[in-house]
Amino acid sequence: MTPPVRTSPLTGTRPLLKVSLHQDARLIAPWVVLISVLSASSILAYAWVFPDADDRRALAATLGANPALSLVFGPARDLSIADGFNAWRAGQLGAFFAGLMAILIVVRNSRANEDSGQAELIASGVIARHSRLAVAVFMAAIAAVALGVFCFVVTVLCGGGVTPTLILSATFTASALMFAGVAAVTSQLASEARAASSMAVGTLGVCYVLRGYIDSSDYPDWVTWLTPLGWLEETRPATENDPWPLLLALAFAILLVLAAFALQGHRDFGQGMVATRPGRARAGLSGNAWGLAFRLHRGLLAAWLVGFAGLGLLFGNIAGSIGELIAENPAIGAVLAASGGSSLTFAFVSTILQIIAIIAAAMGVQIVLRIHAEEMDVRVDPLLATALRRPTYLATNALVAFGATAVGMLVAGIALTLVAWLQDNDGSFSLVEGIGQAIVTIPGVWVLVALAIAVVGAAPAKRLAAWAGVILTFGLTILGPTFNLWDWVLDISPLRHLPNVSSLSPEWSGLLSLAGFIVVFTTIGFAGFRRRDIART
Amino acid sequence: MTHSPEPAIVIEGLTKRFGSFPALDGLDLTVAPGEVHGFLGPNGAGKSTTIRVLLGLLRPNAGTVRLLGGDPWRDVVALHRRLAYVPGDVVLWPGLSGGEAIDLLGNLRGSLDERRRAHLIERFELDPTKKGRQYSKGNRQKVAIVAALAADVELLILDEPTSGLDPLMEAVFQDEIAKEKAQGRTILLSSHIMSEVEALADRVSIIRAGRVVQTGTLDDLRGQTRLTISATLSHVPHERLDVLHDVHVDEHRRLTATVEPARINDAMAALTPLGMTALTVSPASLEDLFLRQYGDTGGEAR
Repeated sequence: MTPPVRTSPLTGTRPLLKVSLHQDARLIAPWVVLISVLSASSILAYAWVFPDADDRRALAATLGANPALSLVFGPARDLSIADGFNAWRAGQLGAFFAGLMAILIVVRNSRANEDSGQAELIASGVIARHSRLAVAVFMAAIAAVALGVFCFVVTVLCGGGVTPTLILSATFTASALMFAGVAAVTSQLASEARAASSMAVGTLGVCYVLRGYIDSSDYPDWVTWLTPLGWLEETRPATENDPWPLLLALAFAILLVLAAFALQGHRDFGQGMVATRPGRARAGLSGNAWGLAFRLHRGLLAAWLVGFAGLGLLFGNIAGSIGELIAENPAIGAVLAASGGSSLTFAFVSTILQIIAIIAAAMGVQIVLRIHAEEMDVRVDPLLATALRRPTYLATNALVAFGATAVGMLVAGIALTLVAWLQDNDGSFSLVEGIGQAIVTIPGVWVLVALAIAVVGAAPAKRLAAWAGVILTFGLTILGPTFNLWDWVLDISPLRHLPNVSSLSPEWSGLLSLAGFIVVFTTIGFAGFRRRDIART
Repeated sequence: MTHSPEPAIVIEGLTKRFGSFPALDGLDLTVAPGEVHGFLGPNGAGKSTTIRVLLGLLRPNAGTVRLLGGDPWRDVVALHRRLAYVPGDVVLWPGLSGGEAIDLLGNLRGSLDERRRAHLIERFELDPTKKGRQYSKGNRQKVAIVAALAADVELLILDEPTSGLDPLMEAVFQDEIAKEKAQGRTILLSSHIMSEVEALADRVSIIRAGRVVQTGTLDDLRGQTRLTISATLSHVPHERLDVLHDVHVDEHRRLTATVEPARINDAMAALTPLGMTALTVSPASLEDLFLRQYGDTGGEAR
């Protein structure tokens, strides 16, 4: 990307970039590798799981047309070839994670440094005003290009076609560039780093969900062009290989970065565009540990709740039109019906609930990992130096995590079910069953939240395991069936053990074993937190 | 306030390792009830680690630690109701105002003297409505000081409490701590500000590389440390003055040297024949004591 301010040189950018890259490379590398593995693995797996033409036709007929899956992956254009399968399975997901990577890089290297005071040291050196933001954007751009190149090489080595892989890898780079721009802008707007990354990730999430909604609904083709992730989809790797939409993405990224620099010129160091209002002189609700836990997550929870309601409304709309989709494609009806239950709409709703459950689990893990972040920021020391017991401190945060995920599932579930029920033509879908299914999905989410509590409480150095739990559950629940994995592998996902409330005899025993895991994980977390040293940076 | 006769803090042979790094290596420390105990040492000597063990945040690898008659790891709640803590680097919640943070910490401890709270906010000229991220370093420090001093507790654990305070506020702090001391509170004061420790502390412990290398009243410590002599001489000495150490004579025949307190008479006897026209003998300041301990010659004073 070209330096946006040509008239005032970006003095000091080069040495700072060098040091920052050196420091950050270790954090960027896993993203580059994992996203590339996502792409390369679909090429490898395709030949292995779907060896002959019959398998591939069946795949195209069932999965490709499943609206629940187009929601996550986008439309499947050609599942009869490996590259087409890769473009479907890795395309939108890879673009999402590439965007996430870029957001984290930009916020970490611009706004977060201001909060920690590190940037003050740097800003006092021989460095131009815009250089720090330029470094953050450059770093994201370098990571974006590195991702594209690495993914291309690895995927082609694994047997991907050169042109489709080139286009696909370029969409990852384009996504990273666009969301680097988004993060550069939110870093100027928000009053602190955490808010800046939440705003940027929220934007990414909204783009992703809107794109999913559009893909799985009956809209005319031009509607896809309304979201940035839709542009990437329009490159259609493996079928049309059209690189032109990438230019649109690049232009958008440059526009955002220019806007960020303009905004930066208008704000003070360490402050957002919105001035901080004075607070209360006395503590109200936040005067005790429970209130504090709620207060610290207040903004996050409000944003997530709006998000869950939105998810429910959008997805409910798709569920309502499921009848028409099935009329067009009987094979998909057979698949949904095979998952059991009284109505096709219900089968679709419970699949959507699983996707929402994974999103809720991501929120829960985010809340629980905040415990560790607070500890590293030395904000836990003064609390525990009072009469506050460690288990109580952990419990306040655990309550927020369990409570927020349950409320999120309920809000999304009720919105989803209500919209689906209002649009259900044949009257076979029951409102009570839909909401009931949302409720029994909650324990599945709680297992993942409890896993995060176990890790943060007992072994915070291994906190990535909490995210691994969410990603594994996602992989097994959404992708697992596409690979015809063995049952015992699929059973690792907690969402496999949820009873189907619409069946004649729901298997409630599944909930018991989930409850067992929740109790065990939570106990490990609490026991570990009592025994270990409180860390600090 | 009445005190049980047993010490407020007793630490014997405390060892704490982080991985293979021994942060504390057989540390001994005793703080009597009602005393202000200065806790001194270079950066990284283990002061904060000791304090974090006392607060039950870290679990010792070896040694015994008694705090107000209890076990700091086991009896957390009972002990923490009786103590207050000021960290050296106060990190506040970005979205919480200073006033909210003071109330939160007070409520969690279970004691907050409203009158004291109002008095301290006024004395330290703290704006309690500012949000955590808006405070300067010194103001963040004030929030923690107000929260701690507004509590009705027996023991104050202060870890470099005045870092970042301006000299005016430093004076207010010393004044407030003197009042706390007069009320009979026990205070463990870790600090790098010598004047602060000299003004407040009854006894001092100097820690180095995880061990206490010297402990006692300031007078005790001074008694073990050489006095500084500066004199202007009429004649340049030709033979070595064995009684003096660190002798230095400049071209104006000004002599500086140090001498053990017990040999001050001998020193005078040796210098008188040289015809002194000016003489100052000064006791070791805490700073001298310190530099002696901090520097690598620390071993000889042990």
